[in-house]
Formats: sequence, C-alpha cells, structure tokens
Amino acid sequence: MSQGSDPASKAGNSSGNKKDASQSQADSKVPDVPAPVSKPGTSVKDASKKDAEPPAFEKGIIDKVVNEFGDKVNVLYIKPLRMKIAIGPADIVAIALYLRDTLGFDHAESVAGTDYPKDNQIEVIYHLGSYGVPGLEGQIMSLTTRTSRDESTLPSLIHIFRSVEYHERETFEMLGVFFEGHPRNDRFLLPEDWADIPPLRKEFRIKGR
Amino acid sequence: MNRRLAERPESKIDDTVNMGMQVLKEYTADDDRLMTLSVGPQHPGSGHFRFTIKVDGDYIVYCDPDPGYVHRGEEKMCEYRNFIQNIPHLERPVIHDSANITYSYSLAVEELAGIEVPRRGQFIRALTSELDRQVYTLYWLAIYGIFLGHSTMFMWPTGDRELFIDLLDALTGARVTHAFNIPGGVRNDIPEGFKEKALRHIAYYEKRLKEYEDIFYNNPLFLQRTEGVGVLTREDAVKLGVTGSVLRASGVSFDVRKAEPYDIYNEIDFKAQYMRSGDCYARAYVPFLDMKESCHIMRQLLDKMPSSGEVRAKLQPNPKGPPGEAYRRVESGRGALGYYIVSDGTPRPYRVKISVGSFRNMLALPHLLVGAKLADMPSIYWALNYWPVEADR
Amino acid sequence: MVLPLIFIVLFYAPLPLANGEVLTPFLFLSMVVDPTRTLPIIQFFMQTDLFRVAVFPGFTYAALIAAVTIFVERKFLAKMQLRVGPLYAGKIEGIFQLIADGLKLVSKEIIVPSGADKPIFWAAPIAFVATAAAVTALIPVAPGWVVADLDVGLIAVFAVFGFFPLIALLFSWASNSKYPFIGGLRALHQLIAFEIPFILSALSVVILAGTLNLTGIAEAQQPYWYILFLPISAFVFYISSLAEVERVPFDLPEAESEIVAGWLTETSGMIYGLIQLGTYIKLYALSAIFVILFLGGWAGPQIFPQELGPPGEKTPLVQMLTLEGIYDPIDFNAGFWFTLKTFGVIMLMLLPRGISPRIRIDILLHTGWYKLIVLAFINIFIALALVYGGVLGPEGVLNSG
Repeated sequence: MSQGSDPASKAGNSSGNKKDASQSQADSKVPDVPAPVSKPGTSVKDASKKDAEPPAFEKGIIDKVVNEFGDKVNVLYIKPLRMKIAIGPADIVAIALYLRDTLGFDHAESVAGTDYPKDNQIEVIYHLGSYGVPGLEGQIMSLTTRTSRDESTLPSLIHIFRSVEYHERETFEMLGVFFEGHPRNDRFLLPEDWADIPPLRKEFRIKGR
Repeated sequence: MNRRLAERPESKIDDTVNMGMQVLKEYTADDDRLMTLSVGPQHPGSGHFRFTIKVDGDYIVYCDPDPGYVHRGEEKMCEYRNFIQNIPHLERPVIHDSANITYSYSLAVEELAGIEVPRRGQFIRALTSELDRQVYTLYWLAIYGIFLGHSTMFMWPTGDRELFIDLLDALTGARVTHAFNIPGGVRNDIPEGFKEKALRHIAYYEKRLKEYEDIFYNNPLFLQRTEGVGVLTREDAVKLGVTGSVLRASGVSFDVRKAEPYDIYNEIDFKAQYMRSGDCYARAYVPFLDMKESCHIMRQLLDKMPSSGEVRAKLQPNPKGPPGEAYRRVESGRGALGYYIVSDGTPRPYRVKISVGSFRNMLALPHLLVGAKLADMPSIYWALNYWPVEADR
Repeated sequence: MVLPLIFIVLFYAPLPLANGEVLTPFLFLSMVVDPTRTLPIIQFFMQTDLFRVAVFPGFTYAALIAAVTIFVERKFLAKMQLRVGPLYAGKIEGIFQLIADGLKLVSKEIIVPSGADKPIFWAAPIAFVATAAAVTALIPVAPGWVVADLDVGLIAVFAVFGFFPLIALLFSWASNSKYPFIGGLRALHQLIAFEIPFILSALSVVILAGTLNLTGIAEAQQPYWYILFLPISAFVFYISSLAEVERVPFDLPEAESEIVAGWLTETSGMIYGLIQLGTYIKLYALSAIFVILFLGGWAGPQIFPQELGPPGEKTPLVQMLTLEGIYDPIDFNAGFWFTLKTFGVIMLMLLPRGISPRIRIDILLHTGWYKLIVLAFINIFIALALVYGGVLGPEGVLNSG
C-alpha cells in the first residue's frame, strides 16, 4: 500500500482521522484472488458515513430482508462483510428462521449482551455466519434486539441455531436476560456461590476500581 | 444393549430432546445402574475444566460440561482500562497463543479508531501470529499424546516448541505472553539475523514433522484408538457451530484467513487444510497439516516483508474513536477468535465480547461423548481442541 | 546396666553352627577380621538356605536388579525422547536418584481414605511384594542355585502369578473410591485374559523339554536355545508378560488420563513404593522366566578362568582376594550370563514405553482372547511336530545326550 510504508506520511496519521472506504485500494492489491465480495485489505476504514455507498453484495442481502419484513426491521449499518439489523423481540424468531432457511446463515458465531442503562435497555446481538453457502463466507450478519433492563426476557433462538446454547446461557448469568425456550437458564461460568447481581451490568463495579 | 449404543445414527441433533441435559433415551438421569464420575479440575485428563459424566459400565450416557474454574471476568475488566492497557490482561486466556488473541483485538480497535497500520508492521504481526500458532499447536499435540499414554509424543513436541519460543523470545523479548501486538502495529522491529535464524529453525522443524508422522500418526495403536472414534458429521458440525480444526476435520473448508483475509493474508499463497472423515484421527491430523502449511506461510512472510519501514502507527497516548462498534476475527490455533467491541467515544471500550473457538467447540463435547466408551473420553475431549482457560475468559 | 547386657549377648548368644563349632557374636567378629577364618564362614553361609532366600537368587538380587531397572528405564526412555533423565541427584548423571526417590517415599504420609477397608488396604501392597518375591524364589540363576527346586516349577510359577489379579481387585475394592474401582476391574480383566496365552506359550516349551522343572528346562537347551524353534511362542510370551506387568501399551489399569491412576489412585508414600518395587520385581521375574524358557537360561561360553590369581599355595590375604573356596567358575559364569540375558530382556520390555500409546480395553481383550491364543496353539503344534518327528526331545537327533 503506497501510503502505509512511507514514513513521511506518518505524521498525518494520528488516530481519529477517518478515511474513506478503501475499497479501490483493496481491490488493486488482490489481482489474482477471485473476489465475489469486497474484502477489507488492511485496517478497515469506517464506511458507514452517510455519503459512502454501501457495498453491493451486502446491500442485496439487506434488501431481501427489508422486503420480507418491511417496517419491523431496522437496518443499522452495512459495511463490507458486516451487516447489522435490529428487530423487536416479538419477531426475532421469524427473522432468524428467514435468515437460516432462505438466506443461508446457518450458525451463530457468538451472542453478546450489552447493557445500556441510559436507554434502560439491554441489547442482545447475535453474530450469524454461514458455512454452507459459498458466497457468504466471511459475511457476518449481526441480528440485534433490545429488551428492558427491569423485565429482561427474550425468546431463545436455540431451536433455530443450536450453536447459541452456551452463549445464551452465559448471557443469562452475566446480564440477567431470561431466554424463554432455552432449556437451561442456569449458572455457567460464575462460581457456585455467586450471590451478587449479574456482573456485566453497569452498576456492578469491580472492587477497588 | 451395548451393541446398539455402538452404532450411532446419522445426526443426533433432535430439536425435541431436552437439549440442556444430554441423556440417552433409555436412561433417566438418576438411574441406579449409572455411576457418576466427575472428570474435574483435579484430574490428569481434563485440564482446568470439569465435566460430569455418568457411565454405565464402559459407556458414557450423560455429559455435562461445567466450565468456569478459571473465569476471571476478562470482558468486565476491559471496560476499566483503555485500549492499550487492555492488551496485557487480554493475552492471559491463552498464554502461548497470545499473539492471536491480541491480534484480533488490535484489528477491531483499529477499525473503531480509524488507525492505519504500516505494511511492515502487518507482516511482523502476521509472522508473530504464525509462530504462536505453531507454539500452541505443538503444545496441544503434546498433551494429546500424553492423554493417549504416549509419553514420547509428549516430549518431542514440547522440545520442538522451543524452536519457536526461541524465535519469539528474540523477536519480542518474552517467551510467551509477549504483549507485542498493539492497536496500530507491533511494538518493535525484528532484530538482525532473525530471518536466517528463523529459516534454519523452520528447516529443522520440517524434518521433525516427518518423524512425528512415523511415530505417531502412522502408529497402529494410535490409528486403532482414533479412527472411527467420535465421528462428527458435516451437518452436525455446521449446526453446532464449531470452528477451527474441528470444523475442517468434518469437511467444511473454512479458514478465516481465506474467508476474510485480514492484513496482508490475501498476498500469501496457502490452502486451508481439511479432511472429510470427522473422526478423532482427522481432528488430530488437521492441525498437523496446518502446521506444515504454516511453515510455507512463514517462509513467504519472511520473503515478502518490506525491508524497511515503520512498524506501528503513531498513536496518541489514549487512542479513541467515534462512537461505533466493530467485529473482527482472526484464525487462531483453536478457530475463529472474534472480538465485538462497542465504543462510546471515550478511551475505554464500552463493551468487549470475546468469541473464542474453545467455547464454541465445547458444544460438541456432550454431543460426542454420549454413547462413547469411557476409554475414548480423553481422546474425544482433547481432539476438540479445547483450551479451558480461553473458554472461561 | 547396659554393659553387662552387651557382654552377655556378645559372649553367650548362640549363632548357627559353623564348621562344627558353636559361634557366638564375639567369635564371629574375631573370625571376620582374621583372614584365615573369614572364608570358611562365608563359604558356610553361602550354603545355607538363608543366603539363597535373602541374598543371591532371592530377594536382594531381585531388588537390586529392580532398582537398577528403574534407573536404567528412566535414562533409556529419556534418551529416546531427546532428553536427559535424572541428572542432579549424585555427581554422575543422577546415579543417586533412586535413593532420593526412596527416601522421599518413605518420608511421605500414607493417607488411608475414609471408609476404606483398613486390613486389606494395608495388607494388599505387602502381599503384592511378597507374591512377586515368591516368584523369584522359583527361578534358577545357576545350576544348583535356586531357592525352591520343585519338580513342577513352571506350574508353581503360574499358580503364583494367578494371585496378582486378586490382589489388584482386593486393593481397588478396599480403596472405596470410583476411579480405583474402574481400574481394579480393568486390571482383573487384563491380567486374567493374558494368563491363558502365557501358559499356552510356556506349554510348547515343556513339550520340547520334557520336564516342568525350571532347572531341567534350562539344561535341556544345551545344543540350541528354544527361541530358534519357538519364535512365535516367545513373541506371545513377551506380549503376555507386558500385559501381566501392566506396562505400556497395556497400562490401562493405571491409565493416567482416563481414570486418574487406576487401582493405584489411593496409594501414597511407602505403599506406592512397595507396589512399584513389586512391579519391578515382577518384571525381573518375567524376564528371568523368559530367559530360562527360551534363551537357554545360563548357557553361555565359559569366560571365567579356572582360578582367580596364581596357582599354588597362597597367603591368607591373597586367599581372601581370590575368593578361594567360594569361587566356582561354572557358577560364576552361569550367574553372569543369566544376569546379562535377563537384563537384555528387561531392556526389551522397557522399549515399548517409548514407542506406543495406550491400548483400549476392548482391543486388549480381543487380542488376548483371540489372537494370542491362536498364535500359541500354532507353536504348540510346531513343538509337537518336532518331538514326534524325532528332531528334539528325549530320543531326538539334536540333543546333547
């Protein structure tokens, strides 16, 4: 990459500078690797600015989802190889089924819960990937839903994606989100004598810090 | 009854079975014929991990993994330190594969903060990643040997690991847990004479790999104990969401370095190694093939590295980026190691979620152990490339 | 008060007769420092049964070989595994490692699990060592040098070996714990399964030798060693010995990664030490029997001279140095070759530990009950053919007589 190895241009490279999507640079570096999707070459620049054009392949996938679910789904960002959609707890099972059966995302790579006390909500995000469909390698579809902090229950996706079993259980014990339909909302990583609030909540402070 | 247990149906994922507790349908969980064994942390065959099994004679009918013995709350600790301070404690989940677990973190932080890594830094980062992959895989292979009772296969890889630990010591200053990757590149440049030393070590190591094949992989007793044992079909592997060598041993050719090449991996010519049989032999052999492939990668990296240049981007003391989130992953010794980082504009991350290969592969453990013989338990368990400390984070 | 007691013991306590005299400790001590009278004492002592049991073909000899085996095993395996083995205990290559280990084991606390069956828990390791030593009592090291020269020596060996599975089972049951229980059952299965090929392979030797007496078997191999005619039997015997002594690849009763330490889980301190000693004495015993059955016992070229030192009349000091009266070239030669061959076989038994992983119980039982029995029978038929064809045996062509 022409800019990266030139020491003289390092001076302008302090953190916080945003650059445009480096797709053209990425494509020019990979002449011999067939690229059905655009791959991020080096460190990925933020491509979710309003005036940047979202990548075409990912846009196609998102368009199908939006066509199917219309208003219920909210597209948060479309970046090269990463897409994020948000939906309410009532429809999450339906959209998960759609993603698995029609689009081909067949496993969940991880399930994370984030506590947003300012909105009084907990966001649970499923990162879905695909092993079976050839064009979808490397794509991660992030499916998120939110639930309130006081009554945090969500439908479990375990009957659709078997791979979320242990992740949802960990989210239950770390954040207190009850997954309906999961056979075992139980303590997993924490010690047996844990008597405190779920540790990943923001009001749980590590002692001494 | 025993003969029926030995023949397993095609795919055992039945959505109507009580998935939280895997018990074979002929038994109830508190049957009198069953003996409960706790393959716990104080067991030479389990590492820092406990799983409870119930056995009927020699057959396992129930398995319940119980991780958390070394849970330290890595994800919570990340919220209290800024991006650079997180590196030393994030290495600890896998101390000898530390370059990969911090590599993924650095990639995610660079995406959040918009940092660009110079080219030479990317090459050195990739080189450290490959070296650590060798170190981890050899350690894993050594433990696999001793689990099967093969003490020579414990001593040889542990000794040959020193070749790479030596290189890493010269490169980073520490044998394990190097704290060498930071968001923005690597800390220091490579020393003089490193390339010749590395090529010598790799040449000797490739000769040693042939000896491993002779004494271990072609050993009739080893083949008897691992061929056909613990078969994970392709559909099950995909449904369970396993990753890394376990996935590739079941016929899915998925390697993160090929699927979404990060840094300069799209300039390196290599193949993702996979096998189709899905038994313990394949799961033991795929890392071996990976090691051979990794030697090719290291040679190419040493060749193509630019001869001069910066190795890291100039950073502010407390790098931070605009509010946003990033999910980046890296192919580590156990599989895809992903970081989901949410930033709220401050120098400290708002949420860090680490998605490790071991935690995902743990799901295959009850699936494979139920119906297997007790004597196969160490073989199946360790072939899942499970590192207990990483799964607990 | 103490002094008179010492004097009484020293001057009046009777020791066994020596040369028709009644010995007292005083006379014994005075004889030992007088060279002209030392040798007859030692010669007399060597002919007693106590010497046979305790020193030469008996316990001390076996224990010494066991101790050397332990050390050699660690060094030998270390060289195979590209490392050095014990290095620091003792100036040269860790030669005192064994003493250090022994001292460590003696000084450790013996933890008896709660609920364990105490009489059996304490008695079983002692019984283990005693049984292993009992086997060594039957082994002839040189012609005439055997503790118990039975006419049915070989069957006595197998009878004593049949006691080991029982000890393993009793000890594992007395440990009152799950992992020893599984290990004990596995030990039972394994040891019993391999008794049969063990006995059958020895049977073919008996057919050729015509006698069950171990000394007789060793002497019947004067022209040719039986391993030339019965290689398959030797192989079956070798595999069965590995299984009987629970060495890799047959160390499932002690499979470390699966069942912690098997039936040895609850042993600690000196109990563990006793069991290790018993195991290695058993290893020596099996190697010795292998040598007697297949490798000709003590047969070997005579390399010891007729007399050590110059012939003719000797001064007492020279007499003592040349071991006159004790030195018998044939016996020394026999002992030397026997020890050498036993050591070779022991090294052969130590070898698989560096090469193989552990076998699984169902493969082991399949091998022991099917394949080895078939192989043993093949060699029985070969032996019968040789005898009835007049090649070997009492009227055979290839015989010393």
